[in-house]
Amino acid sequence: MKVSLNWLADYVDLGSWEPGGIAEVLESLGHEVEETQFLAPRFDGVVTARVLEVEPHPRADRIRVCRVTTGDQPMTVVCGAWNFEAGATVALAVPGATLGGGVEIGRRTIRGVASNGMICSERELGLGEEAEGILTFDSEIAVGDDLAGLGLLTDTVLDLSITPNRPDVMSYVGVARELAAYYRVPFHRPEPDFPQIEADPRIEIDIDDPSGCYRFTAREVRGCEVSPSPFWMRTRLRASGQRPISNVVDITNYVLLELGQPIHAFDLDELGGAAIVVRRAHPGERLTTLDGVDRALTPDDLVVADRERASALAGTMGGGSSEVTGRTTSVLIEAAAWDPPTVLHMSKRHALRTEASARFERGVDPRLPPRAAARAAELVTSLAGGQALRAVTDVVAREDKLRPVTISLDIREAERILGPGFESPRVVDLLTRLHLEVAGEDPISVEVPTFRPDLTRPIDLVEEVARLWGYNNFPERVPRGPGGGRSVSQRRTGTLRRALCGLGFSESVSLSFMRAAEIGIWGWEDDDEQAANIRLKNPLREEESILRTTLLPGLLWVAKYNHSHGLENIAVFEMGRVFLDRPHPTLPKVPDQPERMGILATGRLGGSGLGITPRQVDFYSASAVWRAIAHHLDLDDWRLEPTEAPGWHPARAARLVLDGAVVGTVGEIHPAVVRRAELSGRVIAMELELDPLVADRTHWQFRAPSVFPPYTFDLAFEAPEELGAQDLVAATARAAGPLLESARVFDEFRGDPLGAGRKSLAINYTLRASDRTLSGEETAEALRSMAGAARELGAELRGEL
Amino acid sequence: MYLDWGNPADEILLRTHTSPMQARYMEKNDPPAYVVVPGKVFRADTPDATHSPVFHQIEGLAVDENLTFSDLRGTLAYFAREFFGADRRIRMLPNFFPFTEPSAEMHASCFACEGGESCRVCGGVGWIELLGCGMVDPNVFEWVGYDPAKVSGFAFGMGVERIAQVRHGVSPLRHFFDNDLRVLSQFR
Repeated sequence: MKVSLNWLADYVDLGSWEPGGIAEVLESLGHEVEETQFLAPRFDGVVTARVLEVEPHPRADRIRVCRVTTGDQPMTVVCGAWNFEAGATVALAVPGATLGGGVEIGRRTIRGVASNGMICSERELGLGEEAEGILTFDSEIAVGDDLAGLGLLTDTVLDLSITPNRPDVMSYVGVARELAAYYRVPFHRPEPDFPQIEADPRIEIDIDDPSGCYRFTAREVRGCEVSPSPFWMRTRLRASGQRPISNVVDITNYVLLELGQPIHAFDLDELGGAAIVVRRAHPGERLTTLDGVDRALTPDDLVVADRERASALAGTMGGGSSEVTGRTTSVLIEAAAWDPPTVLHMSKRHALRTEASARFERGVDPRLPPRAAARAAELVTSLAGGQALRAVTDVVAREDKLRPVTISLDIREAERILGPGFESPRVVDLLTRLHLEVAGEDPISVEVPTFRPDLTRPIDLVEEVARLWGYNNFPERVPRGPGGGRSVSQRRTGTLRRALCGLGFSESVSLSFMRAAEIGIWGWEDDDEQAANIRLKNPLREEESILRTTLLPGLLWVAKYNHSHGLENIAVFEMGRVFLDRPHPTLPKVPDQPERMGILATGRLGGSGLGITPRQVDFYSASAVWRAIAHHLDLDDWRLEPTEAPGWHPARAARLVLDGAVVGTVGEIHPAVVRRAELSGRVIAMELELDPLVADRTHWQFRAPSVFPPYTFDLAFEAPEELGAQDLVAATARAAGPLLESARVFDEFRGDPLGAGRKSLAINYTLRASDRTLSGEETAEALRSMAGAARELGAELRGEL
Repeated sequence: MYLDWGNPADEILLRTHTSPMQARYMEKNDPPAYVVVPGKVFRADTPDATHSPVFHQIEGLAVDENLTFSDLRGTLAYFAREFFGADRRIRMLPNFFPFTEPSAEMHASCFACEGGESCRVCGGVGWIELLGCGMVDPNVFEWVGYDPAKVSGFAFGMGVERIAQVRHGVSPLRHFFDNDLRVLSQFR
């Protein structure tokens, strides 16, 4: 809401406060200032002048010759406008004046007549768009004044963002009331006082639907004349962001902004029949609103109708048929209180949000209509002439809405929520300044005026106390909680992150979606878990229409993105949830959303910081990354088993079995997927369930290091191709029993002299006992059992024991 | 963003903010409660310089006996000074949020300009909007089975990308989601 400080000063004494200070106070009260505009005239040398005579130009039909005075000698000015006659007060740009874009006005001779300056229109002065005719002033403006120096056009406008709970502040009076409470200065509300005539109203009011209309107040003004509003009102409306139209229409906007009560003016002679009915729309009924749109109404719509047809959408917008026009001579002023949800739904249904609906949907004070109707009638009679009827038709359908709410507040509650110091005198003072009536001692009884629909509970009053006290006047205190910190799995997840970063990976964050095209790239079939995806009902874009079932497409996309920006060595990981087409194990109404850890790398990897040359990634890099993870997370009961899975390389991928359960896949991405993703070379990846990796582990137990010598030796086995090195290590280690200290594969080769389908695996073992030096017999026995265990897997020891 | 899944009567909406975690936590745990909850949130927005359909929030909640508005102010001021520098001033402006009362928006004095004319960080206002916060509404305590006459507390929520943008001068927002390694490697 745009608030002109010139206008605001009518209701609260702004004294010598700086605009910046006022803005700061409003913000401290919760009314954000989105913008501060400083308005100033964009002209110089324009003086108010009285037109003494107007005569036709001797040599031209469309322009006239005026005798004008600014108080001294009359001068001649030629003017092309026809909307004024002798006696008018006009804005005269005297020779030497400058307008808008720096145009200087001089003496000119127009078709033989000397013109001493120019009579200006609002557009020429840079005030508004209206170019039809020149600007005229009402009699309140003196002749001979410098227009720029009058101060009318020098203003500061604050654009306030009012929170939805405060309909009362969506008005000048409401803003003034807040400032008055803060500064402890008087607040002036307009008190309408104007001549009224005794006559019977022509229109009866009938509220057919009390659920939608709490109150309907109508006043008639007869014999008025529709014409432009006076300059001061036009200036105020423009500063507040409203376009001036005509006096009667401007008055409705003026009262809306001044009091916060939307007003509608009907042309009394265009209303059919002698009654106004507030009712729900009939099925199939139509209404052309003031914006020219022909609208189909539904029986949920609330309308203001005459005997024949709907003439306005209640609290939202009037209809064209009863619109006030230049021919209007009698008006019916409507000020009503509408049910907020009814207006909210109606304005949403018709996509029609107006200044009126914005206020009604939040709740306008139901006690306000008579005052607002009187204020409008006062302004109409004073600006458009006519006679206002004393008789007011005021129909209250919901008496209950007019009763103020009373809240009982235990003073200790204020102190409990706000802290020490919020004792009775302070609380009572703050509440009273906000126009709340406080009675009683403790608990106090607080009567809330009807313009504050947001205050219904004790905590609402506590908030008001804090708000007016000033949030920034509270001391700072830091609570001492019971202590906390992260859970074991959160800490282990952190360890995992740091381990991966240490290996040269970056952590990516993708949007949790995947594209339909990606399912094709990965080659998943309909019955694969990855393809059974969940879609959004209302996607805005194709890119965000399918929830991801796996982290891999997102990671591959990251690789593609970086590759397309010229990067060759790419290593990323991501942790996040995937969304699977099966019920969540404990919340079956929502889909299962397990958390996963994925990595993907292409190009060269490794060696960071140690000066070792990084190598092209392959299956062994993938398994090395896994070993590093296992090392950092103290995972030892795991194995990699050959697997064939869609999207993965048929021979260079393994499923990871951790603590006896499959937790994911490690290896190379299928070359066809890489090709379809328009990448080249090998791409390694890993996708694992996160929870088992970071779950709490049993505490390890200390083992005293042996003081006895180790027995270290190498064994080479000739093994069938399909035997995994890890299985051979595990079997021989089991055979060695508790003496085994370590076992590590250090060589693998194929070819001569081995036969086809055979490979050689060389393993380095260390045996050691904790309590003795091993004897020759013991080591020989261990070697024999290890060879035997290998033989059972089809692996033969190469050479002799 | 609604899911096309399950029973159509149970409409499933991807969460639009992390605030529901307050009630979730309190439903499962007795007071006192001192938690922070980071997470992804989803909005039906088309990506542009300042919008993303997915971003992150951090929700905070402190509930105990004798927690007051001063604890809220002190805790968040401490955070602002730790995060943006020890000489930051903070201000709190009243606002309106559904689950807190009183509610506030917290601003920190701009670290880049101290109110200079055309600051890129704060737009010349001198203040940076950091987060929304407030005292937990007694209705929330009633829903989760806490006694609103005995406990009190505060909650806050902030946009992770937003404060990272402010702190590191990251603009536009898409840098957080493009996963360009030249961007990721700058965050240590």
